[in-house]
Amino acid sequence: MNYWRRPFAFPKGVDQEMTRWTRLRENSLLLFPSVVLTLALGIYPLIWVLRYMFYDYPGYGEELFVGLDNFRRLLRDAEFWASVRNTFVFAGGKLLITVPLSLILAVILNGKLRGRHFMRAVFFMPTVISTAVISVVFYLIFNSYNGMVNQLLVRMHIIDSPFAWLGPDHAMMTVVIAAAWGAVGNYMLLFIAGLQSIPQDLYESASIDGAGPVQRFWRITIPMLGPVMQIIIMLAIIASLKGYESIMVMTEGGPIGKTEVMYLYLYKLLFPFATSGTPADQQFGYGSAVGFATALIVGAITMIYYWLSRKMNKVF
Amino acid sequence: MWKRGIGLALTAVLAVGTAACGNSSNNGEGSTSPSSPASGTASAPASQAPSGEKKVISYWTDDRHDQEYIKSLIDKFNAENTDNIQVELTVLSENFNQSVDIAFSSNKAPDMLRLKSANTGTFVKKGYLAPIDEYVTDEMKTKFSSLLLEGVNKFDGKLYSLPNSGQTLRLVYNKDLFDKAGIEKPPETLQEMVDDAKKITAAGNSEGAYGFALNFKNPKSAFERSVREILSLSGHQGLGYDFKTAQFDFAPYSQVIEYFKQMWDDGSILPGAETLDIDPMRAQFAAGKIGMYLSFSTEPGVYKDQFPTDIHWGGALAPTIDGKRDGTSEIVSAGTWLGISDKSKNKDAAWQFMAYMYRDEVLTAYHEQGFGISVVPSIAEKAKNPDVPGMEGFLVGDNDSIWPVSPTVTPEGANYGDAFFKYMLSGGDLAKVTADLNARYNDALAKAKEKGEVKAEADPSFDPAKLKTNS
Repeated sequence: MNYWRRPFAFPKGVDQEMTRWTRLRENSLLLFPSVVLTLALGIYPLIWVLRYMFYDYPGYGEELFVGLDNFRRLLRDAEFWASVRNTFVFAGGKLLITVPLSLILAVILNGKLRGRHFMRAVFFMPTVISTAVISVVFYLIFNSYNGMVNQLLVRMHIIDSPFAWLGPDHAMMTVVIAAAWGAVGNYMLLFIAGLQSIPQDLYESASIDGAGPVQRFWRITIPMLGPVMQIIIMLAIIASLKGYESIMVMTEGGPIGKTEVMYLYLYKLLFPFATSGTPADQQFGYGSAVGFATALIVGAITMIYYWLSRKMNKVF
Repeated sequence: MWKRGIGLALTAVLAVGTAACGNSSNNGEGSTSPSSPASGTASAPASQAPSGEKKVISYWTDDRHDQEYIKSLIDKFNAENTDNIQVELTVLSENFNQSVDIAFSSNKAPDMLRLKSANTGTFVKKGYLAPIDEYVTDEMKTKFSSLLLEGVNKFDGKLYSLPNSGQTLRLVYNKDLFDKAGIEKPPETLQEMVDDAKKITAAGNSEGAYGFALNFKNPKSAFERSVREILSLSGHQGLGYDFKTAQFDFAPYSQVIEYFKQMWDDGSILPGAETLDIDPMRAQFAAGKIGMYLSFSTEPGVYKDQFPTDIHWGGALAPTIDGKRDGTSEIVSAGTWLGISDKSKNKDAAWQFMAYMYRDEVLTAYHEQGFGISVVPSIAEKAKNPDVPGMEGFLVGDNDSIWPVSPTVTPEGANYGDAFFKYMLSGGDLAKVTADLNARYNDALAKAKEKGEVKAEADPSFDPAKLKTNS
């Protein structure tokens, strides 16, 4: 019996009585909620964006069709392209810290270490805490005028005057650290799940053959983790490219646009009054075009990554 | 069989849930469910009620500082009015404009709204507000006559709100740090401000005190509470607009920025000011770490309640570019207070409450208790000075006045706040930055005029010195 074609397995008699129509009705009923949700929350906003990106529309009043004007503006919008560059720096920095660190932690905490469950919980904790809270705490730690880090460094006579952790030159580094701190535990847990799916007998036979811990890590753990790692890195890439919450709280994209990332730029166009703008700054039309462009960029990078990493999927 | 039963039951639950979601998604743009007002009061518009039946008027505001007083007025009105009108106050803690948008798009609009100069024009354009011309009495028209201004409370000749209080703008300075640095009085020119900031920093640096600061996390907000005032008192419109030519001209603005940059380069500005929001900055001022900044007349209330402080501080007129006061310090947010929703089904009852709130005794008490500085001449003349320490430096005087409204446009690219702050931090060619701003703002102005969104006509006879007589 092919179970995959039917949602449930019934006693033989019932199964035979079931007509094609009944199955269709049942399948449709089961699919209905997801389809409606997807249409209402996924497809409808998408169509909305696809329509308004050709309009000059501030969010109220007249909708003025402007053809490709919003895209022409996008091409000459230096602020947007600067935000794209900042996004790459932010995402790159965050990935460089997050992925190796979470893998190392996962390998350590997957071993028979005492207190590993407690340590896993500790490292996972930031994932549960609100990003806004984490960011406010990081702001209090790193701000120049009374931040804890500066106070500590001054007291230890390592620096004489306050260091501008959130100044134009170092703000990006600080927001990357904050974002990475918040993300490491999450990926660590995913890596642990991946590690636990690797059969133990592989390690045992490698040990019998004389392989040490480093060899086992490079020759067994990494290749066997391939498919899981491919997905985790993809999730990490997407999350890094789309992340803006911590930046919004810590620097609001500043100083002088040094931490302005794509999605924060987009957010400010659509909801200016949520940051420092006024309702008059709302630009739904242009915001839709920027939204479309950012989605394309994230989509393209994800696809390129998926193509480049296709070998990771082949373990055997 | 039971599995199938559970499956179908789950499906039914999900379908019902989805239908509920679907309903809230059918309200056009901004269709997420409305966020709950902070105070949690019911905010549905009152239904059409025959006379004698209870009429509920919901009033939404984002003013927190005066909520106890407003609440007491509402309680009194609810108890005393004979038409069975019940006003319900909802104080929204934040995202006021967003909540209003959502409420209107989901047909849950309040009957009355707190209007501010930053949102009134947009609300009128969005069709949220009902004109009040038919209600306003001749007596009221006389009382507010000098303050009924097109683009402020009137739009296309229709009146939407009436004024109550406004905000003056001042230099706020720490007298202790001034004394310590040997400075006798607040600066009157920008050069003096730069020099004083340097002296204060030199004298107070060892204790972490610096000469100057602003909330540079939002450069536009920082400049709109500082440069605006310096310019208007110097005789230039404070947001970069020129009434004589009906064009944006940021040249005077750039002159002020040059002095700000000098303070930055001198190291006279509090380290980390580029990440400061207004409240953390106030906390630093209250802690005695900042020599001076510029801001609205909300500051005395802030240091009375929010950040009580032992430092000796005061408010003084802002410095001007060259020491000459060729204009007046602009009184802002002055033309509007309450407005009636166009969607209200009880506009008459809403007006009844509005008229109650605009009585002389309410406006006078509002001023005397320090919730805002009255801009209504008949009130300002009679009322006693507010009993808030420091407020004496912010009261409306001969050098304060309301200015005509400048058009608001959204240019392509960086706004003037970001562009000038970038120059302050990283340098460059200021003339080029200014020319670029002029080009982009005037381009946006031309487009907005073409679309009929703004009106901007040149007034070659505009003379900022004449504004003094209006105060």
